[in-house]
Amino acid sequence: MNDEVTTALDRDAAPFRRLHPLSIILKSLSMLGRNIVAIFVLHFSLFDQNFFYTGLAALALISLVVGVTALIWSRFTYQVTEREIRIKSGLLNRNNRSIPFDRIQDVSLEQKLISRLLGLTTVALETGSGGGEDGQLDALSRADAEQLRDTIRDYKAGLRAAATPAENHQSATDTPPLFAMNNRRILIAGLFNFSFVLLALLGALAQNLDFLLPDGFFDPRSWIDAFPEQDTINAFGSWARIGGALAAILSLVLIGFVSGIVRTFVREYGFRLDRTDSGQPGFRRRRGLFTLTDMVMPIHRVQAAILQTGPVRQRFGWYHLKFTSLASDASGETDHSAAPCASLAEIEPILEECAIRPAPADLVFQGVNPAFWWRGTIMVSLLLTAIALGTGLFVHAGLFGIILLAVPVGLIKYLNWRHHQYALTDSQLYVRSGWWRRISTTLPLRKIQTVDVSQRPLDHPLDLATVTIGIAGGSSIRPLKIEAIQFAKAMDLRSQLISRTASSPTAG
Amino acid sequence: MTEHASNSSNSDQFAAMETDLSPSYNQGLTPLHPPQKSLIRVNMILRALFLLVLASVAETLLYMHHEVQPGMVLIPATFFAILQVFVLPHRIYRRWGYDMGDEQLRVLRGFLWQTDTIVPFNRIQHIDVAQGPLQRMFGLSTLIVHTAGTHNSIVTLPGLATADAEDMRETIKGHIRQDMI
Repeated sequence: MNDEVTTALDRDAAPFRRLHPLSIILKSLSMLGRNIVAIFVLHFSLFDQNFFYTGLAALALISLVVGVTALIWSRFTYQVTEREIRIKSGLLNRNNRSIPFDRIQDVSLEQKLISRLLGLTTVALETGSGGGEDGQLDALSRADAEQLRDTIRDYKAGLRAAATPAENHQSATDTPPLFAMNNRRILIAGLFNFSFVLLALLGALAQNLDFLLPDGFFDPRSWIDAFPEQDTINAFGSWARIGGALAAILSLVLIGFVSGIVRTFVREYGFRLDRTDSGQPGFRRRRGLFTLTDMVMPIHRVQAAILQTGPVRQRFGWYHLKFTSLASDASGETDHSAAPCASLAEIEPILEECAIRPAPADLVFQGVNPAFWWRGTIMVSLLLTAIALGTGLFVHAGLFGIILLAVPVGLIKYLNWRHHQYALTDSQLYVRSGWWRRISTTLPLRKIQTVDVSQRPLDHPLDLATVTIGIAGGSSIRPLKIEAIQFAKAMDLRSQLISRTASSPTAG
Repeated sequence: MTEHASNSSNSDQFAAMETDLSPSYNQGLTPLHPPQKSLIRVNMILRALFLLVLASVAETLLYMHHEVQPGMVLIPATFFAILQVFVLPHRIYRRWGYDMGDEQLRVLRGFLWQTDTIVPFNRIQHIDVAQGPLQRMFGLSTLIVHTAGTHNSIVTLPGLATADAEDMRETIKGHIRQDMI
């Protein structure tokens, strides 16, 4: 009852506000960007490359887009009261959403390149209600956005102040950052971020612009037909041909490296992680070259720490530290990146902030049953044998060679088995997995939500089981698992996990 | 229909009437309310009917267009339907089990793909008791608990007597706390 009265008062008190008018331009531009391809297609097809018609169509499109966007803008209002934010939106279907400050997990400010030019900032409010943004204000002026964030922070600080004396606000810029990356470090991170994304992008571009390419460019038969006619290729010696192939592979590798470095620079430029103590204690992360993001994550929301590395990276001592948290990262990653490329010595103080202890050096990790690799290898080998027999007998004798694929598959499975280990201490569970993508998860036991022991058909004869641990946040496709351990051991491990979870009711 | 609901609190007696329900199948956990077996059977009958209709259509088409032996599709389908209706319900039913501990709920299900889940009560965010039209006929309810976890965030336990499910909900409700994460 009392609550209703106060919220009614709040409702009258705070004015309804609109987003910044320039956001109309911002939204229109992004919508036009999506439709520009259509204009090009029309220019070349329907309008027969007549610039006048195309111009008319473009003008019509622009006015339509701007008109609709302006209409949407005029119908979008928000109101910041003392304890919640209300958002009214929608042209025909009016949507009235209120988000209590209590439920907001983290507030992130994001500035894309165009928003930066216009001086605008997008505010994203995460409540962790699963999937998608919960409240997005796209976009406010930089000052308004920061004020909104401070309002929410101050509200939470006020809650804490009731229990403890209010802390004096200190600006995060004065204190040294917990972790920051200079350009050299970003370059190193980029080297290990080898990816074929750029290549895939070029491929996709080529596929979309195929009207520029000769007919049958993607038809392998036309290439096979073309090859014997190319005397030039035959004229080269076999060494030259091998050299050509090597050059092709090298250029691919180079593209992979370059795209990795470019991607990393775009995302991580100016990376800086601070501890903020105003409001709730939290991590504040700022990064980005074109798109600036500024995210604050309360420390008590951290569910688990993930250290990711690779066989080469580990040799150089570089690790990627991520935090699992209920609110997903704005960049679409399931875990919050806290230090993209750091040494263990740099990571330790960050972990200390959220009371997670790295694995002690003398901690004995337990391996899992070797069936982890040989069972899978046998299954794959059987499948490959069937395929090899089928294709080898009926298509071409050379395809019998498919069976040789079992060797690398088996090898990788063996290496993965060697790297799948776990250890349990009084308060934390450590799980390592993967040989190429080495992930070691440190999970405080009080953050465990559910524990499954499951057996698949092939587990029964060997009496093996998989322990799956439900955590708030993280990937739902790739949950934290300890695979292929003895059933009795799995049950024992689970009872230990659960007993320590239940005995510490003050989680969170 | 209401008969089950009123008798439901003493589901142990019902379970005791199940002569061939050996505890070895579900590790000695509490079995589901026995009418659940009938519900599984009803569902299986519906599925079997659907299967038989499909099989008859396929059979007719094959017979009309290709000279195949009659019964090539229908006989295996009938065999499978009989298996579904008369053998599977009991086997599925006896592999289910649950246990209300002092601080946790345990749900066991399946045989070939066996899953055994434990949810500590203080991790539960909210609880549903759901009931479909068929379930209502048998006086059954499904208990659904939601955790904040991303994996397995929804744990369902079907086949509880409605009164039992409501009792369990009340028990768990006492343990729910605000702002766990």
